[in-house]
Amino acid sequence: MKDISQSINKVDNDEKISGKAKYVADIKMEGMLHALTLRATIAKGEIVEIIYPKLPEGYFVVDYKDIPGKNIVKVIFDDMPIFTTGKITYLHEPIALLIGPDKFLVNELLKQVKVTYKEEKPLFDWVDSVIHYEFKKGEGFKPKKGDIIIEKSYETSYQEQLYIETQGMIGYMEDNEKITLVGSIQCPYYVKNALVQALDVEDKLVRVIQATVGGAFGGKEEFPSLIACQLAVAVKKIKKPIRLIYEREEDILSTTKRHPSKTTLKALMRNDKIISLAVKVGLDGGANIGLSGVVLSRALIASSGAYTIDNLDVQGDVFRTNTVPNGAFRGFGAPQMMFAIEMFVDHVAKKIGKDPFKFRVEHLAKQGDYTSTMGLYRDPILLEDMINKAMEVSDYKTKRKLFDQKDSYKGIGMSIFFHGCGFTGSGEKNHIKAKVKLKKQGDSVEILIAAVDMGQGVKTSFRKLVAHILDIEIERVIFNNPDTDYVSDSGPTVASRTMMIVGGIVARCAKEMKERFSEENFIVEKVYEQPSYIEFDEATFTGDAYPAYSWGVNVVEVEVDPVTYQVKLHKTWSVYDVGKAIDERMVYGQADGGLAQGLAYGYLEVMNHKDGKIMQKNMTDYIIPTAMDMPPMETYLFDNPYAYGPYGAKGVGELSLVGGAPAVAKAIEQAIKRQVYKIPVTPEYIMELVNNGKD
Amino acid sequence: MVNAYVPKTLEDCLKLLNEFDLKIVAGGTDVLIQNRAPSQLAIGYKKDVCYILQIEELKKIYEDDQYIYIGSAVSLEEIMDSMIVPEILRNTILEMASPAIRHTATLAGNIANASPAGDSLVTLYLLDAEIEIRSMNNLRRMKVSDFITGVRKIELAKDELISKIIIPKFEFDQAYFKKVGPRLSDAISKVAFAGAYIVEGKKIKDFRVSFGAVNVTVVRADELEQKIISRTVKDIKKMKETIVSWYEKAINPIDDQRSNKAYRKVVALNLLREFIENLNL
Ligand SMILES: Cc1cc2nc3c(=O)[nH]c(=O)nc-3n(C[C@H](O)[C@H](O)[C@H](O)COP(=O)(O)OP(=O)(O)OC[C@H]3O[C@@H](n4cnc5c(N)ncnc54)[C@H](O)[C@@H]3O)c2cc1C
Repeated sequence: MKDISQSINKVDNDEKISGKAKYVADIKMEGMLHALTLRATIAKGEIVEIIYPKLPEGYFVVDYKDIPGKNIVKVIFDDMPIFTTGKITYLHEPIALLIGPDKFLVNELLKQVKVTYKEEKPLFDWVDSVIHYEFKKGEGFKPKKGDIIIEKSYETSYQEQLYIETQGMIGYMEDNEKITLVGSIQCPYYVKNALVQALDVEDKLVRVIQATVGGAFGGKEEFPSLIACQLAVAVKKIKKPIRLIYEREEDILSTTKRHPSKTTLKALMRNDKIISLAVKVGLDGGANIGLSGVVLSRALIASSGAYTIDNLDVQGDVFRTNTVPNGAFRGFGAPQMMFAIEMFVDHVAKKIGKDPFKFRVEHLAKQGDYTSTMGLYRDPILLEDMINKAMEVSDYKTKRKLFDQKDSYKGIGMSIFFHGCGFTGSGEKNHIKAKVKLKKQGDSVEILIAAVDMGQGVKTSFRKLVAHILDIEIERVIFNNPDTDYVSDSGPTVASRTMMIVGGIVARCAKEMKERFSEENFIVEKVYEQPSYIEFDEATFTGDAYPAYSWGVNVVEVEVDPVTYQVKLHKTWSVYDVGKAIDERMVYGQADGGLAQGLAYGYLEVMNHKDGKIMQKNMTDYIIPTAMDMPPMETYLFDNPYAYGPYGAKGVGELSLVGGAPAVAKAIEQAIKRQVYKIPVTPEYIMELVNNGKD
Repeated sequence: MVNAYVPKTLEDCLKLLNEFDLKIVAGGTDVLIQNRAPSQLAIGYKKDVCYILQIEELKKIYEDDQYIYIGSAVSLEEIMDSMIVPEILRNTILEMASPAIRHTATLAGNIANASPAGDSLVTLYLLDAEIEIRSMNNLRRMKVSDFITGVRKIELAKDELISKIIIPKFEFDQAYFKKVGPRLSDAISKVAFAGAYIVEGKKIKDFRVSFGAVNVTVVRADELEQKIISRTVKDIKKMKETIVSWYEKAINPIDDQRSNKAYRKVVALNLLREFIENLNL
């Protein structure tokens, strides 16, 4: 039998390339109405009065008064209203929907709405802590007299997902009572559960179907539930199909982004080793908490990076501000933390006069070590071999030396990192409880799960997985876009969990199916079983925070233009341990795309707010890399099968983003011979460093 | 709803412009963005429009002894591919937008749009480029630098049309354009620079520099250039910082969501330094 890693073409290549694939904007329904969102024009205050223009027949306003159930979007922390009841907590907060058959007219009516506010002074400083977590490992941080302590602070700013397809959904009513939503979403059951609560109806009266998704990157994890609730309320009131699609600017201005962060790290040194680390992380949560607590905990758990440090004192806060709520984004707290810790270990080494590379290798995590939360790294860790490979293919040592010369403006940087696979802690067991169905019908087999193909290739990899186990042609395996009327709740398509967790259950189903394959029609149904040794106490942050870890090494070579301070990427070399690639080319695709996004986070993508207003509100001003900006990327995969993943597969999707920023930042440091403390490392920042910074 | 006219001849076009109040649309890569409407709705034109890309007379590039003539409906891509167009202009266009945009956008559009960050303007100022302007009853010619009077302000009457861009022929010893954008393609300049010179004997016979995105319009300072011309290359290199300080006064950039004042200024002056340092006998 062929090795499962051998690449095949993606099953949806043809429909996507030919334009046949149906995205939300391609779906047109008989009698469909259009909805546009009325939004607040202040960052904080109360609505005093709303004067709507006279609405022609067939035009509607839908607001909080129309919500039959709870006026809350069910997420993890339930604090986001579906529509405001009058209190405004951020600029562009949704107030109501205007709906009607002619979108042009809806837009004209929207412009005529007059809202008066009682303004209050908005809060932008990070002072209102709404979540505080802390934990210790070993003896925490207890300096003795005479100990050397090194302290540094690091900052990261917003990152915008900038999926090509903006947020969008269509809602309609079936049989006069059942409300169905078709949307560009990552998590069909998150949406469904939110709808049940908003509409206060029985489970079976709500149905959610995934349309083809034009990119998500976490941006379609929790946010779509907001639009879904708004639309469902409108459909319930108007009883007609309604479509709501965001404009690009609206999307950038009002949807969730990566949390800006500030991290202070303190190292207690003894014998040239970090004996203890004190970590303090602050995240800007924006106006709602939503998923911020989970983002924070993932950041905190990653606080010693790919290193083992015996004593930790870890603290973090989510601050509420009157800015657009932040939320899920590929990496989920890890990119912020990996940037800080990766820069810090180098800065510490330099400070004590040690070779940073050696210093880091001495601290590397090894199999059998305790994790930051006193879990165990049970599985083999191949980092040393991976680092050697990366050094060899990139000629790291020679270049590092060469570029150290005084008038060289070149630099080479290396990041070493991990990503925890699947939900944090016992999330899978306690909260998600993934269920999977595999159905045999005559000659074909259908995968009935809620996993969403948002471009990453789930439709291909899962069909391949099942076909491989059953030893049948892939054409006989069916995987339609999830529809909650048919598929079981296998959980959200997030957290690098899909292949490892859901794929693991699917593989178990397939194995059982194989034994009964002579039977004509039957269904195999299974639930997630957490490895028995995994225990995590969420309150105290103790135990195994993840069932498995994926590891990575990125090397990036850059050149900085001494006249314009622009950064040119020359080449990247990456080595990843993702357990086992279910399809090599798809993993390479994730590797290149994730790294591009991670590098850009580190040197290119600038986003900030001024008085609560996002300044880079369109594709002209929010700069993501083009093909011209990205260098050749070489990627190597190390097999290191994980017992509970299908064929040994671990998480892939987020890993490749996590190391990009520190790798490019370190390369820039070498090129300009200065230390970098924040990302993105823009030409403007480089100029400042060159003129004022310290070596 | 607006009316759209699509004249096939220059004569028809000028008649239309004479009769109605029309917005001229060439490639539309600025106009469409400035008039964008929510998705699926018609373009948000505020008045009737006249599409000019069907006019054959405006689609030619040709030359005579003194000048190169570029019709106002020629696409940037065609200009870039034309061997008679000066290399510095072709290189400038290569740095503009993306292949798709260059396929439809025009040079006249970049001029008439009069953005402080319009890339071609930097080079057109440097080359003393002119434009030919036509109306039903008139034909005139003026320098691009006189045509543009401020941010999005141009000397064009409502019945007029730019028909050609006219570029004087020069043989420079060295001429280049450098764009400083936030990324390598499809980006608005933070700063742009163009420089050219001619050396005769040991002396500079012609010296020109121009800067984009650092003031309301392109900065090119004749009086400063005159102060530099006729000096020896050696002298000029020696007085580099003095020259930089002369230019410093003319360079008045702004802070915005794409960059900041300090960066724009420092980089503009760095580019000038680099140009002076690289002057070659
Ligand atoms: C994605 C993207 C990237 C871009 N990148 C760049 C870039 O890198 N650098 C840059 O400088 N610009 C850039 N632009 C802006 C734009 O493409 C250029 O300014 C282009 O040259 C405009 O030409 P056009 O033919 O499309 O003009 P149009 O949009 O058709 O017209 C622009 C203006 O000129 C007027 N006009 C056009 N033709 C005539 C005429 N013959 N006579 C009188 N008035 C006329 C119009 O009425 C309008 O006011 C970019 C635009 C986009 C959308």
